[in-house]
Amino acid sequence: MRQYELMLILDPEVDERTVAPSLDKFLSVITTGGGSVDKVDIWGKRRLAFEISKKAEGIYAVVNMTATPALAQELDRQLGLNEAILRTKLLRPDAH
Amino acid sequence: MAKPVLRKPKKKVSPLKSVKLEGAVDYKDTVLLRKFISDRGKIRARRVTGVSVQDQRKIARAVKNAREMALLPYSSSAR
Repeated sequence: MRQYELMLILDPEVDERTVAPSLDKFLSVITTGGGSVDKVDIWGKRRLAFEISKKAEGIYAVVNMTATPALAQELDRQLGLNEAILRTKLLRPDAH
Repeated sequence: MAKPVLRKPKKKVSPLKSVKLEGAVDYKDTVLLRKFISDRGKIRARRVTGVSVQDQRKIARAVKNAREMALLPYSSSAR
C-alpha cells in the first residue's frame, strides 16, 4: 500500500454540487479494492493558466488516498475515460 | 604603474534567499512557486534565485508539475 495524491480538473459546466457525489462514485474503486480514501479537498472553480480543450476555467479537486499501485492506476485510467474530467495527475507525495 | 584594482569579494546576497524551503516543494503552492518564475513564466536561473542545486531541482519539478495542471503558465502572452 502506498500513499497517493490525485489532483483532477473537472469540466466547469458540471454543477459544483454534483462534484462530491460523482467523485465518491469514482473513489469506490479504491475502497472496494481494499484501499482507503484519506482526504477529499474540492477547491472549487478556478481559472486555468491556459485553456484546456477550449475551457478557461476548471473545478479542481485533490484526493489523498492509500492504495496499491494497481488500484491507483486503475482509478486514474477510469478518470481519464470520463469526458467531464479535463485532466488528472496522480503522484506519490513521499517520492517528491 | 597603476595600482592593480582590487576586486571586491563577491557579495553573497540573493533576493530570494529569504524564502525558506523545507523538505519537499509542493506543486500546489503557486504563491511560493511564482517567486521562482519570471513575468513571462520561465523558471528563474539558480544564479538569480540563489537557491541550492537540490532546491532548484525541487522547484523546477514542482513548477513543471504545476504547469501540467494549469496552475502556472507555460509562457505568458507578453511579446
